[in-house]
Amino acid sequence: MASIVQSTVLPVPPSDVWNIIRDFNGHETWHPGVASSQIERGYLGDMVGCVRRFRLEDGAELREQLLALSDANHSFTYCMLDTPIPLFNYIAHVRLLPITDGNGTFWEWRAHFDTPEDQLEQMMALVGDRIMQAGFQAVHALLNPADPRPNQINQAQQ
Amino acid sequence: MARVYVSSVIPAAADQVWDRIRDFNGLPNWHPGMRESRIEDGRPADQVGCVRNFKLQSGEIIRERLSGLSDYDKSCTYGIIESPMSVTNYQATLSLMPVTDGDVCFAQWSADFNCAPHDLAAVTNLLTRDVFQSGFDALKRHFGG
Repeated sequence: MASIVQSTVLPVPPSDVWNIIRDFNGHETWHPGVASSQIERGYLGDMVGCVRRFRLEDGAELREQLLALSDANHSFTYCMLDTPIPLFNYIAHVRLLPITDGNGTFWEWRAHFDTPEDQLEQMMALVGDRIMQAGFQAVHALLNPADPRPNQINQAQQ
Repeated sequence: MARVYVSSVIPAAADQVWDRIRDFNGLPNWHPGMRESRIEDGRPADQVGCVRNFKLQSGEIIRERLSGLSDYDKSCTYGIIESPMSVTNYQATLSLMPVTDGDVCFAQWSADFNCAPHDLAAVTNLLTRDVFQSGFDALKRHFGG
């Protein structure tokens, strides 16, 4: 089983970040990798157990199910149901923690999954860079369009 | 049960900061509010269950037992055995988490305890400002933040 953790620091309180990322169907509005998304069966995006069906920019279609959502902890957990990508038993967990010294947010995104050995490096890069880091950078840009954080972005690409 | 929680971003990698704070007997090396620490009964400072006996700058003595230490999670949990504060069932955790998109780390320090209602504000203020935030400020200064 492979596991990956990525994290970043944002200059606003968790409630502000939570407003952006809480909606399980809202990733189409903030995540650059997601072209379109809908919740199946007319469920709401904050109903635990709901399934989002979404399309990536490259056309791949995925389904993911919301397993846990907590407004108290600013966290959610989801798993992948169907994917054309070799990510099996994929479970991801997102949480926001307050930085009391400076009124900011620590955002942690972790995932574990199975994948064939020869695909591991590619899948780690996909999840770490194209899902997690791309998501962090998009939210950074939403919160502060004037500051693209070039230093951090460069470090992430090294 | 009352809870105090303070968190900060320290401008160094989690491994580096952990090297500085891991030693349960090392508070006076990095925290400006503490001095003269020793581990009782000649036990090693990373033996879970050991007791540190140290002085505040005011000269008051605190004894705390190490109840958990994780190099994997970079966390340290301990409880107060004896202190000038009017608290009971005091357990605190200091932990570090890496920030993967920058050369900094996220630090959390929290405590759960019982306390008489009329002492709560003073104890909360003491822990928040003079112990936890003061420790983080010292780490930030040390690592150049």
